[in-house]
Amino acid sequence: MDNVAAHRTLSDITIGETADFERTISESDVSAFAHLSGDFNPLHVDSAYAQKTKFGRRLVHGMLLGSLCSRMVGMYVPGEKCLYLRQTLTFKKPVHIGDTVKVLGRVASKSVSTKIIEVEISMLRDGEEVVSGVATVQLLE
Amino acid sequence: MDEFNNILHAVFKVPLEKISDVLTPKDIPEWDSMNYLFFISELEKKFGFSFTMDEVINAQTVGDVRAVVLKRGKNNG
Repeated sequence: MDNVAAHRTLSDITIGETADFERTISESDVSAFAHLSGDFNPLHVDSAYAQKTKFGRRLVHGMLLGSLCSRMVGMYVPGEKCLYLRQTLTFKKPVHIGDTVKVLGRVASKSVSTKIIEVEISMLRDGEEVVSGVATVQLLE
Repeated sequence: MDEFNNILHAVFKVPLEKISDVLTPKDIPEWDSMNYLFFISELEKKFGFSFTMDEVINAQTVGDVRAVVLKRGKNNG
């Protein structure tokens, strides 16, 4: 992963432009997120417990996936000058350890006067949408 | 201008029946700098135009903002 945020100005950014990246969620990701957030709900961290639920196995924390939205806006669109203002998220399907999600971002609107940009975000697993949301950010110029 | 009022209601949580052009930020508890920018951004999307920076900065009342929309909005009904 390139750890350098995109350097974009407001005039560089166009409505409809897209960015994407992929991420495979590992066991250590889920463990790290449990410690980071303090969410040790057994559905995420206890295989025996999760096996008895309708899901059959552990789920990735929804907000771990949500954190990928931060990567989208902080690193890609708009990148370096991003100030995160608001985020909506809908968790549509369960995601499991070992799954790879493709994170797609599309610039839906841009306000020149307020420098506010909305980025529609969709996460796909094998082409099926598992998470969707809208990030609202401001470009710091 | 129902849409204008609906956006104002949604952003600032002002009851529709209490919306009037004389309202100022002091009358609306939810009117802070960030919500004001959300308000402008939502109006731009709905009415299909861009405010100028002067229009954003100089508006003192709800009526000032509405006047800009009435003057330049593409769908100001």
